[in-house]
Amino acid sequence: MDEEKKVTVRKNIIFCIVSVLILCILLFPLYWALITSLKTEQEIFRNPPTFYPHILNLKSYAAQVETGDFNMFRSFGNSFLISMGATVIAVLLAVPASYGIAKYRFRARKLMLLSFLVTQMLPVSVLLTPMFIMFKNMHVYNTWMAAVLADATIGIPFSVLILKNYFASIPKDMEEAAYLDGCNRFTAFIRILIPIAKPGVVVCAIFSFLYAWGDLAYGMTFILDQEKRPITAGIFNFMGQYGTKWSYLTAFAVVTIIPVALIFIFMQKYIVSGMTSGAVKG
Amino acid sequence: MGKSKKLFRYDNAGILFVLPAFLYMLIFVGYPIIRNIILSFQDVNAGNLVKGTKNFVLFENYLELFRDAVFRTSLSNTLKYTILCLIFQFVVGFALALFFNKRFSFAKPVRGILLVPWMIPVTVTALMFKLLFATDIGVINYILRSLHLISKNIEWLTTPGTAMFALVCANIWIGIPFNMILISTGLTTIPKELYESASIDGANRVQTFWNITLPLLRPTIESVLILGFIYTFKVYDLVYVMTSGGPVNSTHMLSTYSYKLSFEMFKYSKGSAVANVLLAILLIVGVFYIKATTAGEEE
Amino acid sequence: MKRKKVIALLAAFAMLSGLLTGCGSSGETKEADQSAGEVSGEETSVAEAEESASAEGAEAVTIWYYWETEGHQVALDQVIQEYNASQNAYEVTAKYVPFADFKKQLSIGASADELPDIAILDSPDHASYVDMGIFEDITGKFDVSNYYEGTVNSCTVDGKLYGVPFGVNCLALYYNEDMLKDAGCSVPATWDELKETAKALTTDSVTGLALCSVQNEEGTFNFVPWLWSTGATSYDINNENGIRALTFIQDLINEGVMSKECINWTQGDVMNQFISGNVAMMENGPWQIPTMQAEAPNLNWKVTLIPKDAEYSSVLGGENYAVINGRNVDGALDFLTYATSEEKVKFMMEKFGYISADKTIAEKQFEADSPYQPFVEELNYAMPRGPLAEWPSVSDAISLAFNQVITGTATPEDAAAQAQETIDGIIK
Repeated sequence: MDEEKKVTVRKNIIFCIVSVLILCILLFPLYWALITSLKTEQEIFRNPPTFYPHILNLKSYAAQVETGDFNMFRSFGNSFLISMGATVIAVLLAVPASYGIAKYRFRARKLMLLSFLVTQMLPVSVLLTPMFIMFKNMHVYNTWMAAVLADATIGIPFSVLILKNYFASIPKDMEEAAYLDGCNRFTAFIRILIPIAKPGVVVCAIFSFLYAWGDLAYGMTFILDQEKRPITAGIFNFMGQYGTKWSYLTAFAVVTIIPVALIFIFMQKYIVSGMTSGAVKG
Repeated sequence: MGKSKKLFRYDNAGILFVLPAFLYMLIFVGYPIIRNIILSFQDVNAGNLVKGTKNFVLFENYLELFRDAVFRTSLSNTLKYTILCLIFQFVVGFALALFFNKRFSFAKPVRGILLVPWMIPVTVTALMFKLLFATDIGVINYILRSLHLISKNIEWLTTPGTAMFALVCANIWIGIPFNMILISTGLTTIPKELYESASIDGANRVQTFWNITLPLLRPTIESVLILGFIYTFKVYDLVYVMTSGGPVNSTHMLSTYSYKLSFEMFKYSKGSAVANVLLAILLIVGVFYIKATTAGEEE
Repeated sequence: MKRKKVIALLAAFAMLSGLLTGCGSSGETKEADQSAGEVSGEETSVAEAEESASAEGAEAVTIWYYWETEGHQVALDQVIQEYNASQNAYEVTAKYVPFADFKKQLSIGASADELPDIAILDSPDHASYVDMGIFEDITGKFDVSNYYEGTVNSCTVDGKLYGVPFGVNCLALYYNEDMLKDAGCSVPATWDELKETAKALTTDSVTGLALCSVQNEEGTFNFVPWLWSTGATSYDINNENGIRALTFIQDLINEGVMSKECINWTQGDVMNQFISGNVAMMENGPWQIPTMQAEAPNLNWKVTLIPKDAEYSSVLGGENYAVINGRNVDGALDFLTYATSEEKVKFMMEKFGYISADKTIAEKQFEADSPYQPFVEELNYAMPRGPLAEWPSVSDAISLAFNQVITGTATPEDAAAQAQETIDGIIK
């Protein structure tokens, strides 16, 4: 297999074309969301559908900024803080846990591994009430912290299960070399193992962030004040009693994607290299 | 790779690394699990949620479920849905991961962009697919008509069988990047030297794939599949927004039915029982996963 | 607002750095959890302090409501502001909980003892929460003798009053005047006329009739007028009358004068189809009127009674105020007394596009040619759903039966029999 070899110029062109085709097919729903957001409601209901907006309608974007108690920029800030908080907790707890599971054999190991699986098996419907009671008793109900703590419960088990494979694939020699250099278990873990497992850590951080970013149930249930709610809460402004306003709703989708997409573009170099570098050099 | 040296050590100190995360999950999810099990053996409804006695009725709720046609539909729907989604998103995701692992100019940026479906909240994705699959104004019917694949619009979301198909499509769309990225990163753990020595030995692509890529990727594949299984099995937002379990209860899943019983019909105990059935099935799958992944380990 | 933002940001930053330093120094996370808890605790107290500071010792009264429309929110907020300015004892704040989450939030709140002082909720759910025991008995505290009987019934259980109707609405038939004129049709008054008119109005791009048929309470709301018009009741469907209602709806679908897509259309979606000119007639409520006037000012439409089978019939909808027990009952009652005064009721009804639940106000609320006036007339034929603690389960059976005939997955006879079996199992 030539995965790691540079491909020839001809192949490069073919592959690039194919990749763009794949991109077009997979991102078609996004294109559709974008043009729908720029159409008038009448045009959206036109049959057959139009593939570009015949009359450009930007009203739907103006409505995103502020509707009633909902302020888009504030909600972005909330979502960002909640997602960052959940990501930090998930990564800080999951990285050592996955290392422990991968590199050590102790009595309760299988049980713990199973418990990380089990804890993500309950559907949201039955988690909400007990979590609500807990957060109320912890005095974090109606604060970001409630959403942060709840969202982290999605990221932790996910990250543990993904990262344990990374640590498991790292040969023992590297750790032992570190011990010879005077590291103890913890410093070896931090200085040697984490850098090697970096692609995994980056991916887990991204997924933990995105899980929290897309969360609606926790943010809505545990936070009552509109000004503290995440961006996803804004969706209720455009669907409900008065029908689904497709242009507003798709504009909402576009607007929620943009900041995350921007972060990805600015951090692309770091994320992409993080995801693929640091491979084991046995 | 000389396997003479153990890749791990038998050492109870390891538990210290795991304990913080374990305790965190125990506190925040352990209590809900126990509470939910107790609730499912009681008869809690609107009348005695706050006041009054909560009688223990043992397996009454569970027995009632198995007589309930909607529950049986939800159970088989959930299984069908999970398996269909898992197969397609895994195969496509894997293929894309292999493709983008090749070193061509667009590989990394395009792979990055393909993560975008993950940045959209699921509720929004569900609404988008609802629009795409609409009968008269939906673009999917329009494209199929233009290609002369159909002569009459398909009533995707208002016919039981096709509604399920639409849900599966939407879920696969979300699932592909998930599988692709996790497998892509899994591929980075395979030492390049192995491929080099394989090509010196004259192995062809198919052989290298079966003898090197797949075996070394096994832990990643297992993790991706089990996580995919769990997330797909407890799907909620997507179904709730796209079909709400309709038409005529034909797309109810265990999670949506549990939600409906608990929060729309005030049958809290029955809702918990449905959730526990879901939990029990996942638990069985989970135990198999642990068995399979730890079987080859040196103890 | 700015200050709050800064405080919040600082708190979050402190929280994050607390987490980071906590972990970095010891590798243990217990400490981190604690410090995070402390900081967010501070955050709550800051928020609380601010709230009470602005109220200057006034007792807080919280309201939960579910209207997502800006106009509704603004109108309610204005009444609240005026109330807060009018006295010093209480400080009212309103919190928006989306309609889709409202029942869930009340259920969870009841379990966790974290409820508002007043809830403004959908009337058919009222009886269930009375059964839950979270509403205060307010019999004799309000004069509801002039209110529409059905709306008062929706918040009355065992002869005791557990709420005050906020506003009232019902369903009626909207029709596109131009389309009717072009097709040479007169306004239908009976089922047969309706079917004929719908047929005449249906073209390649227009379907004759639409009514929200989603399989939930909203669908039931739109189905029961047809069911009741035959003489059937919500609890007695498996008879000639019930089957006739189901057959009628099925015929509309089979003859192509009503789209199957209706099972995915909320009442708002139905209205959007109507103002886009895709639908010639629709069953809908008066709350759509402000939106319709704003979005399609040139559309010629009128409202009439829902055509009848045996008798005219419609369904009562609307919200009720309820006071939560064991909390700030005095404050809640004080606000409600203020909000249900004639002046405030008139103000809110006008802004909401609602009809007052108070008959004396409703009857002179609109001009004779107002589009709202037919709804006031329709109210005379409108009946409430329930009241019954198990109404959600009955409603589920009814909407399922109608969905079965619409999608053709069951015959009207089978659908009626199945619904009856479910309902009999609920009402023993």
